[in-house]
Parts: sequence; C-alpha cells; structure tokens
Amino acid sequence: MTTLETTLREKVLLLDGGMGTQIFARKPTVEDYGGAALEGCVDLLTERRPQWIREIHESYLNAGADAVETNTFGANPLVLGDFGLSAKAYDLNVQAASIAKAVARSFDRPRFVIGSVGPGTKLISLGHVSYADLLASYRVQMDGLLDGGADAILIETCQDLGQIKVAVRAAREAMAAKKRRVPLWVQATVETTGTLLVGSDISAVLTSVEPLGIDVLGLNCGTGPDEMHAHLQTLAETSPFAISCLPNAGLPENRGGQVVYPLAPEPFVQKVLHAASEFGIAILGGCCGTTPEHVRALAPGVEKLNPPKRTPTLERSAASLYQSVALKQEPAPLIVGERTNANGSKKFRDLLAAEDWDGMITLAKEQQREGAHLLDLCVAYVGRDEVRDADELLSRLISQITLPLMIDSTEFPVIERALQRSPGKCVINSINFEDGDAKARAILELCRTYGAAVVALTIDERGMAKTREQKLEVAQRLHALAVGEYGLDPGDLIIDPLTFTLGSGDEEFRKSAIETLEALKLIKAQLPGVMTILGVSNVSFGLNPASRHVLNALMLYHGVKHGLDMAIFNASKVIPVAKIDPEDRKIVEDLIFDRRSEGYDPLKALLARFSSRKTAAVDEHRADLPVLERLHRGILDGEKQAILADVDEALRDHDPLKLINEVLLGAMKVVGERFGSGEMQLPFVLESAEAMKAAIKHIEPHLPRESNYQKGRILLATVKGDVHDIGKNLVDIILSNNGFEVRNLGIKQPIEAILKELEAWPAEAIGLSGLLVKSTVIMKENLHFMEDLGLKVPVILGGAALTRDYVEGDCRRSYSGAVFYAADAFEGLRHMQALVSGETDVPAVAPAASAAGEITVLHRGGASVPLTEKGQSSWVRHDAPVPRPPFWGVRELAEAPVELFEHLDAFALIRNRWGFSQGSQSDETFAAVLRDKAVPQLVRWKERLATDPIFQPRARYGYFPVRAEGDALRVFDPSDPKRSLALLAFPRQATGRRLCITDFFSAEQTDVLALQLVTLGQAAADHAARLYREDGYGDYFAFHGLATELTEAYAERLHARIRRELGIHAKDLPGRALFAQGYQGSRYSYGYPACPDLEGNGPILDLLQGSTIGVSLSDSHQMDPEYTTSALVAWHPQARYFSV
Amino acid sequence: MTVKVHFRLEDLLVEAPAGTPLQRIADAAGADITFGCRTGSCGTCRVRVVEGLEQCSDPGPEERDFLKGLEAPADQRLACQVTILGDVAIDYLGL
Repeated sequence: MTTLETTLREKVLLLDGGMGTQIFARKPTVEDYGGAALEGCVDLLTERRPQWIREIHESYLNAGADAVETNTFGANPLVLGDFGLSAKAYDLNVQAASIAKAVARSFDRPRFVIGSVGPGTKLISLGHVSYADLLASYRVQMDGLLDGGADAILIETCQDLGQIKVAVRAAREAMAAKKRRVPLWVQATVETTGTLLVGSDISAVLTSVEPLGIDVLGLNCGTGPDEMHAHLQTLAETSPFAISCLPNAGLPENRGGQVVYPLAPEPFVQKVLHAASEFGIAILGGCCGTTPEHVRALAPGVEKLNPPKRTPTLERSAASLYQSVALKQEPAPLIVGERTNANGSKKFRDLLAAEDWDGMITLAKEQQREGAHLLDLCVAYVGRDEVRDADELLSRLISQITLPLMIDSTEFPVIERALQRSPGKCVINSINFEDGDAKARAILELCRTYGAAVVALTIDERGMAKTREQKLEVAQRLHALAVGEYGLDPGDLIIDPLTFTLGSGDEEFRKSAIETLEALKLIKAQLPGVMTILGVSNVSFGLNPASRHVLNALMLYHGVKHGLDMAIFNASKVIPVAKIDPEDRKIVEDLIFDRRSEGYDPLKALLARFSSRKTAAVDEHRADLPVLERLHRGILDGEKQAILADVDEALRDHDPLKLINEVLLGAMKVVGERFGSGEMQLPFVLESAEAMKAAIKHIEPHLPRESNYQKGRILLATVKGDVHDIGKNLVDIILSNNGFEVRNLGIKQPIEAILKELEAWPAEAIGLSGLLVKSTVIMKENLHFMEDLGLKVPVILGGAALTRDYVEGDCRRSYSGAVFYAADAFEGLRHMQALVSGETDVPAVAPAASAAGEITVLHRGGASVPLTEKGQSSWVRHDAPVPRPPFWGVRELAEAPVELFEHLDAFALIRNRWGFSQGSQSDETFAAVLRDKAVPQLVRWKERLATDPIFQPRARYGYFPVRAEGDALRVFDPSDPKRSLALLAFPRQATGRRLCITDFFSAEQTDVLALQLVTLGQAAADHAARLYREDGYGDYFAFHGLATELTEAYAERLHARIRRELGIHAKDLPGRALFAQGYQGSRYSYGYPACPDLEGNGPILDLLQGSTIGVSLSDSHQMDPEYTTSALVAWHPQARYFSV
Repeated sequence: MTVKVHFRLEDLLVEAPAGTPLQRIADAAGADITFGCRTGSCGTCRVRVVEGLEQCSDPGPEERDFLKGLEAPADQRLACQVTILGDVAIDYLGL
C-alpha cells in the first residue's frame, strides 16, 4: 500500500501553496463569516463555505501537488476562544480533514492530507499561556485532525520553541490514545532577523525537538527562498530528519497600502528547485503569496528530483530558548556554572530567601560572562516551596539567559515544572539507583516527554561506588535502563562517577581520585557515546581556599585527560595549569595520585605549604581586625558601603578629627603612593576616593563646631576656550578627598573670572587645566596678566598638551609667583601639601630651553619638496581615479549604542581612558586586573546600554564635489556643482614634504570630499555631569572614558561606511590595526596636527546641517554637546596623518 | 655621551645626549614624524628602527601590548615611548 512514508522514499513530495492567500482572493464578507464578531475567523469558513475550501484543495491537486494542507491553521480552542468558538475546535478539525480527504480521494494517484497546526496567538516562552492550557488546547486539535483522517500532522509556522514542544507532545499523546501513528512534521519560521520570533536560532530548534522523535523538520513562511539558505544549510548538515521548505513568494512589499509578495511563479520555481538540490530537501511547497500557478510551475521540476540523500552529523547538545550548546566542547571540558545553586552558594541562598529574583538572574549572568556553558540551577531550600520557586525564577530567567539549564533537583514535581518552563533542551541532574530504579524510571520518562538529557550518578542500592569496577558496573546498569529501555541517545546520558574529597586524609579515600579518573577512562571505552561529568570542586572540600584553587584546577586537568567531557565548576576559577607554580603542582599531583613515601605525605605538605597563603578570602577575616585597621583597609580597598559601619564603631572610642587626620588621610596617602609607584590604577584610586567621601560625610556631623580638618584651599578652572573637564575634575576629587577645600569653577574660565573669585574666596593656590595645545598659550597669557596685576599667588598647571620643560621654563619666566607643573592629580596634591606646610619658595626658572639646546642638527638632507604650479606638494601623485560616491549631498543616520561596540578600541578605553596600566605589577597580576575588573566593567556597560537610553547616537554625513585651490578646498553645491558653498583653508607644512590636506584632492578635476559628524546626544553629556555632581567618581570617570571612546568608535564606524560606499574598503585591516589608520585614505578632525584650528568646525557643521541632530558650536569653536566629533575624509591613498 | 639619530625619510641627522626621549629629539629637530596622543595608545607615531634597535629603551608593558595588538614586527616602536641610548636610524611608518 502506498503511504506517505513510502512515497517520501520514492520521490520529493510536492505540497500545496498558500491557503490564506486563496481564501482572501475570494474576498470573504461579513455574511461569509456569519457575523461581524466572527470576521477574520478563517478556520470557521470550513463550516460556512466548505465549497471554497474544496475548490482550493482541488486547484492545488490539479496543479500537481501530492498533498494539501487542511484549513485548520488556527483551529484550536485557544485561538477560536477569541471568537467565542472554543467548543467548535474539534468539529472544525474533523470537518476540515474530511473535506480535504474527500477531495484527495477523487484523484487517481495517491494524494495526501496534511493536518495543519498553526502557532496560535500566545507565546508560551514569554508567559502568555500556561503549559497545561496550551497542551490541552492542542490536544483537541490533534484529536480532530486524526479523527478526520489526516495522513500527517504538520506543526507549522512555529515562532516559539516552547510552543513546538507542547504541540509535539499533544500530537504524540493523541496518537497514543487513538493507537494511530501518523508522521509528525515540524516547520519553523525563521524571520529576516535569522531567528524565530522569540529569538531561537534553527540549531536551538533542532536540538530541542530532536529527542522528541519527529519525522520532518523544515521551514515555512517568514521569508522567501533566498533568505532561508543559511538555515537550510544548517539543517542539511546536522538534522537527522527529512527537510521541508515552503517559502513565501519573496519578502512582502508594501505597494500602495497593499501587501504584495513579489516572486512570480517563474523565479520562485527557480529558487526553490535550486535550494532543493543544494540542500537535499524532501518536501517542497509554498506559503504566503504562492498560488496554484506557483505549484503548477514547480511540478515538472519536482518530478525530476530524486529523493535526497544526506549524511548529517548531529552533535549532542543542550539548548536554551536562544541557542544550542554542544556537550562536547573544544577544548574540553564543558563548564557547568555552579553558583546558581542554593546548596552550594550562600549568596544564591540569601537571594532566594529574600526572593530577589533579579539578583539571582544577575548571578546567572555573571556565570555566563565568566565562561560557563551551562547553568546548574537548584532552588531547594528547606522550608520553602521548591516548585513555586522554580516557577518564579524560571519564568524570569529563560528569556534573559542564553545558556541552557541543568535542572538540579531531587523532587519529581520540581523537575517537571522546570521542564515545562524551559523552552529548550535541558539536562536533568540527576538519577541514581540508591533506592532501586523506580525514581530513575520516572525521571527518564520525563526525559522522553520533554526531550531532556540526564546526569546519572554511579550510586546504587549498595551506596556510592568507590572502586573503578563498581563505578563501571553501575554505569552499565544506568546505560541499560536509559539507552536500552527508555531509548535515550547515549550522548544524552551523562555519567558522573563521583568525586570525593582528598582533604580529609581518610585512608578510605586516599585513592579515590585515581579510581574516579580510571573509571572515566573505562566508561568512555565500554559505553561508546556516553558523556561524563564530575563535580570537580568536591575533591578539595575541607581545605583552605588557596589550596582548593590549585587542587580543583589539577583535578579538572587530569579529568579531561582521562575522558571527562563536562565539569561542574566555578567558571571564574578556571586557571591554566601552566600558570601553577611547579612545586605546588608536584605536591598536588602527589596528592591526587596518592604518591606517599617514607616521611612524605603530600596532604601534610600541601597543608603546610598553603597554610599562610591567601586568596581572595581576605575579607572573611576582616571582622577580626581592629577597627582602625579596618578603616585603613576600607579606604585602600574602596569599600564605600562597608566602611560606614566601621566609622560608627570607631567613633565610639576615637576623636572624629583624629580619625580623619590620622587614619583616613593616612590611608589616602598610601593610595597616592601606590598610584605613584604604579601598584594601583586610577579606577581603584577613584573607588578609594569614593570611600573617603562616604566616610567623611559620615563623620562630619560628629565634628566639634569650630573644628576644621581642612588643610588649605585651591581654586580650580579649565582655561578660556577649552571645554575639557575630566582632568580638572580628577584633581578636584583627589585634593578634596585628601583634606583640601576645592572650589571648582568649571570650564572655559577667563582669568578675570578666576581672579574675581579669588578675591571673594582667598585660596592658597590656583590650579589651571586645559587639554588643547592652544590652552598652553592661554595659561602663559594668564600668568602674564597676573604678573601685571602684581599678584604672587602660586599657580599649578596641568593638562595633556603641557610639558614640564614648558611650565618650568617659559611659564615660570612669565610670573614672579610660584609656578608648578603637575603631571597628574597626585603631583598636584604634593605641591599643595608643600605649599601649605611652607616648604616651598618660589621655584627657580629652569635653564632656557634646556634639553633642546643639547639637541643639534648635524645634517639636513635634500631641499624641501617643490610645489606644483597649482600650489600642491609634488610628493602627492594624482594617478588614481576619483571614486564615485553612491549619492551627493547629506544623509542622516541613527544607531543603537551597542552597534558602536564593534568599532570600539577597547585597548585605548581600558588602558588609556580608564587608566588600567600595568605599572610595576607583574604580567599575571595585571592580567588578573584586566580580567576581573576592566573587562567585566566594559561588559556591564555594554549590557546596560542595550536597555538604558543614555546614548542616542546620531550622525550626518555626506559627499561634496570639491576642487583644490592651493591651500584651500572649494566645496561646491551637490545639487548645483557650479555653485560654491564654502572655501575651506588649511595650513601647509613649511618644509620637507610641504603637505597640506588640500593636496589629497585634485586641482584639475572635480574630486569628492566626505564630511562626517557623529554625536552621542545631549543626554550623554547630562548624564556625565550628573554623575560628577553626585560624587560617583568611579562611575563618572568610567562613563566619560567610555563615552569618549564610543564617540570615536562611531566616527570609525561611519568612516568605514564611507570607505565601503566609495569602494576603497579593500585595504581595511582586520582587528585593532584598523584603529591605527589601517585603511586607505585618512580622516582629519580639527584640533589635531594636520588642521589644529578649531575654527574649521564652523563650516563643517553648516555643510552638514549639524543643528538637525542637535549639534551646535560653542564660542570657542568646540562642538556641543560633549561626545560629538566631526571630520573630513580624504580617499586619496597617500592621505595619512601629518603635522604642520 | 651623545648619540646620533638618523631620520631617513628626510635624511636628517641629529645629535643628542644619550637617554633623550626620541619624541623630544624629533620635536626639536623638526623631524617629519606625526605624534598623536603622545601617551602610547594611538599608534600615529609608529616607526621602524632600521639600525640600532638594541640602542632603544625596552618597551614598557603598555607599548608592548599595544604593538602586540597590531601584530607589529619586533623592529617597530612607538616614537613617543622610546628613549635613545645609542646611535639609531629611524623610518617613520605613517606614510
């Protein structure tokens, strides 16, 4: 007898095209639906207009289709419930299947009826509907389709991984009840985003449904055939099931308010047949926008196809809602994060007790960041309702975590609820034979129903298996039950041969690590395909943290060498074995392999060696320290929360003024020394300053009224014409938290305003700051001005463009008061301390141009390059053709902040902006700082920016026709290339190559100049100001650095776009090299060496109409808001940075 | 003791005291080297030390890591980070 299955073995099956498209072509009226309230209930038309349905089926079968899909896409009680028709669900399915069946029978060769089951209107993975309700609803539909005679069930247009699993279960249960097995097909809808609606990729779908025993896994709807290629390829390579492919007739277009699917039969057929042969597709058809004409056109081609032969290989995996994770990782092992476990983590337990669900999710995310591949999740807590806790946590967790879950519970109802809540493929932890096999059987039944893998412990009625032989024997029994009887794939059985502590010294367990390691080897050899796992950290239970660290790492290392696939481990504690001290390693390996000898016990050696060694566990002993010592440490460690309790305690017995002067300021002095010696980096210094601020605020109310712990006063300002804030603010932070009173006047301060303030608020010194080269000149002018007024107040100068030579030479000559150079905030602090203690006289002027005097030019070769008759440097050649831009004029863009991270120079951000520099630290220590502090900080910001709208990046850019006129560029109107819009003048090098930016543009013909302007928006600038006001020093500093580099990243990103659009992107270098001009051409910004004059920003803003994205020019020609930058882009291959 | 620095691009030969930063020598002699940030994080002043690599101060960790990130060959340095201890010849790379 010819069945659907035998047909599929013989040929590629041709399905029909769109049903909805055909129904709507008949323009159903309210009358057709049977009332206004029922309008749109297409499933009801089976009953109301059966003739239509019959005709549609006939038209497809006449066109050559081998099978038709029933008109039951939404025919389940949940969807019909929206029309008050839940009760009709069963009948409509029976009826629809019967109609299709009758039509099919009227044809001579075998034609089949496929029962269509749509996704419904509620997403279970997002909590729109309960598992039980969805299951019950689908069951009604499955019963109807089977009773109506459907030859297969097609769960189609799936948008939600969770929904697929429920529908599959409903179908299987219906078939079991009716003792009628028909093929079970699943079709997912991958959107243009590359995932299902809820975010699952196709591998996650495959991994999750594979254990459920379906027959077909394919794609329908969502996109046209072209967009399906990548996903079909994945299925072709990995799916053990036949593949179906029912695309839409292209991506829908909106034509005059009508949705139109653009692919006509001819191109549709071509694309579909191409995909069929390329990816070995077994079932073809069409979805939205396809018609009987499409099917008719497809039929002859399909007839010629042979049934596909593929050799897919599927890695055993687990899956979250979003992604599939192979259980065999390269390099091994797969790490199961152990900290979301109420039995193992106190922190998690406390969060659970407080029902701080978000806190628990944060902990889960931390492990994800630290490199865990899977998350062990255990919410067992005595006295709490474990089912409810699992439900509450998972309902929030599954959409926020991309890692698959290991459900860790001994309670059957908890496991089942967790499986219902988790859309992907979970691992259950665990089964054993401690009380016989009844419980293991129940859990294996769950594995089958929900499609889960399982951890199986080598424990039986005799207890925990301790020898390798016993471990293997129990493993074999577990295998016989799980694989032999319950049909689990061996790769979904994960054997745990148990780890015992080596820390007890108990003779019984001395060889336990050897037995476990050897058992791993035996199990892998005797039970092919099974996976292995160990709870590695058990091996060191009872030892101190420092030795646990090393022992765990080495046990993991040897486990992997013996065949360990997975490890339950704290991902942040994985240390490379190569980094372990050789002597440590020897002792620990002696312990693992029980290499004792006369007078040598590795356990004793280990205890002795690690007894005084500390890891991060210092905090545990904090409470034992005297309170003043705790305060001192609190400042050094930047503990702004913990320090408050210590302050309260200290205030009971100590004079508040003494606390500040001796303890707190003493600690800050150490901070300064450590910063100076390179032991401590700026971000940590800022944390100390925050702790200092918090402590002082806490102490201040206790100070006697007239007491003053402050040592002196300083007025701070950024000079006229300069908007740079950060350096000055760092000085403010450091000085004010080291006992000085600071009045911070802000940016762009003319000297007159500063001196006026000084009259009202006499200070020991003035601090002037500025970043621009121009500001160094202003500082000198300010000193002249003060000299003329006969002032003597000391002045401290700082800023990126200053040099010590310049300050101690030129600047000191301009002023008879004291002038100091401060390379950083702490040098400024030292000057202030010296000033108030009266240690300093007016320092002498450094000898004139000291260093420069000893530098002598012995020989200067070759005359300068001559200029051409057009006044350009003859060093620049003009032989490359001028590229054509894709458009002339200006366009506007907006980006999501996270997109900018792709072009973020993380090195510059972390090392330079955030001040993480190695200083005197060892490579290892610094690597740990980067790993534990800097990188997580960056990750946190990135996560935050994904949701927090602090940055609203916008840009304008455009292409202008230009021509070089000597040292100027003539910019023409893009829409009227004869009309001049602007003349941009640039400086030229006086000697040497005699370059000017204009040289990179043609003087002979029209050339193209790209201009760009990017901004992170006003909100970013406001946010920075707010952080500073609120004393969030660390955050302020980190935010400012990030914003500055993200502005640069945006400029880099836009520049990359421009190169692509000009077709000159072939020379773009990969990786970080791109940021060091690793591309053709150059991007020049005003204020930098090739065009130092900020005035140039004006015409650029005008040409790009910067005001439309809220950018304006300050009176000092800098762009407002902060975190904005503009540039001119030259495409010329010789265009590079140069200085004039 | 003095050292000689040869900037080969413009055939410029300069004498300076041993231990002078290359940055200062380049600035004082007007060599055609462009400095960007002058703190070792932008890479604008990258040079190749054609002769006398051993006469340059060793790179600190920041410069080392920066150049490693660019996969730069061992004879490349950041001019703003180098101190000159003996005679060297320099090619500016930012051309």
